[in-house]
Amino acid sequence: MTARWFKLLGMAAFALALLYPLIGLGAQVGSWNWDGGIPGSTAGAVRVSIFLTAIAMAIVIAIGTPVAWYLARGAGRDRVIWDAAVLISVLMPPLALGLLLSLAYGPATSLGGFLLRIGVPTSNSATAFVATQVYASAGYYIVAARAAIASVPHELEQTAALLGVAPGAVFRRVTFPLARLGLAAAVSIAWVRALGEFGAVIVTAYYPAGIPVQIWVNLQTAGMPAVMPLLIVFLLTALPLPWLIHLLAQSRDA
Amino acid sequence: MLDARIIKARAGFTVDVHIRLDAGDRLAIFGASGAGKSTVLGCIAGIENPDSGEIRLGGTKLFPPPLPLHRRPLAYLTQKDLLFPHLSAGENITFGLANGGGAESARWIGELRERLGLEAIWNNRAAKISGGESRRVALARMLARRPPLVLLDEPFVALDRPLIRDLTGALDEWRRRLGFILIAVDHRAEVLTPLCPRVAAIERGKIVQQSDWNSLAASPATPGLARLLEIPYPSD
Repeated sequence: MTARWFKLLGMAAFALALLYPLIGLGAQVGSWNWDGGIPGSTAGAVRVSIFLTAIAMAIVIAIGTPVAWYLARGAGRDRVIWDAAVLISVLMPPLALGLLLSLAYGPATSLGGFLLRIGVPTSNSATAFVATQVYASAGYYIVAARAAIASVPHELEQTAALLGVAPGAVFRRVTFPLARLGLAAAVSIAWVRALGEFGAVIVTAYYPAGIPVQIWVNLQTAGMPAVMPLLIVFLLTALPLPWLIHLLAQSRDA
Repeated sequence: MLDARIIKARAGFTVDVHIRLDAGDRLAIFGASGAGKSTVLGCIAGIENPDSGEIRLGGTKLFPPPLPLHRRPLAYLTQKDLLFPHLSAGENITFGLANGGGAESARWIGELRERLGLEAIWNNRAAKISGGESRRVALARMLARRPPLVLLDEPFVALDRPLIRDLTGALDEWRRRLGFILIAVDHRAEVLTPLCPRVAAIERGKIVQQSDWNSLAASPATPGLARLLEIPYPSD
């Protein structure tokens, strides 16, 4: 047997082990219970997850892209400090993040109390849900986006500037098109990270329930028959968008 | 007019030069590798900043403070083509023209395309065109905005002689018509002589001789220059 076959066999074994948990989707758990005893809860959870995660992603991209650009291009020695800040947010265990967010922004704090008075509840609200997702996913987006931007040769950006093109347009016309595959990967990672967030969200935003919290509620109240349909919806919600973004970015590269 | 006084510390020596050129002037900066030639050009272009000095181009002060790259009315071509790989050759060339640049620019771009023989590759992705073609595209892109100052840093590395002759001829023709100042840097005299009749020879960051090529060849100011020109130094 050739070395190539050994490599192929090794990769096949790895892929099999990696995807083996998907076999659980065929497990016999009894008749599916679509709403876990609460009518409309599945559709509601999907709506909450998709709509609020989309808002969180818009915020992450809007704030994270300039930060990633600064870390890749603009920063000097100060970069070490900002890198550390981003890394702390990436390494933060989700449950710890949820607890810290509650302690920092909760209604009992002066900031949380002030926000509540002006009509922005920071616990068990859409605002809390989105803010938690932003905190949970921004670091991942920035790390990946920074690598994508840094992969574009700086000389190309300088060349564009020397042709009279202003910095914003240089990003739009040179940096972004050349970094788009990496930026698409960054959005994908952030999307999955935010959509799947459970440990932090369950502390800060038990309501409105997104898909992960609703799965946990269904598991507690009605068992696996109520979890399976939501689990499949969860996978269908989480996977296609990053996959589509990746395909789109690749097709434009062709 | 370009008036550039550039002082910049490098490892082992300090670049300290003063260059004054009028519209349409040509100057070759000649010297060995590592003599500070590219530093001079990089400082004028804005890729590097001098430690001190002053650079003015016409009524525009380039330094100090450093003028942002996109506000510098100049063109800079290095030995790398640095074409935008995701764009076609034509898109590369018109990249710096706001909204296509109008009818006059369109005529000028048409002339560049024809003179440099770019019709066949105009719509080809820059990533997929050959080395010689890339150089032609880079040259056309640099001239598309009709800049008052053109900086060439070893522009013809790895090109064959007929192509160098062709590009040199085209550049000179356009310089006479557009009246831009041309500064070219190289360590090979044969590349610079057809481009620029006057030469500033540089050694360890200082201009050691400024003359025409014949005078330089007849009496090089230093043994280093003589070695570079592959001629005997008078006192040897």
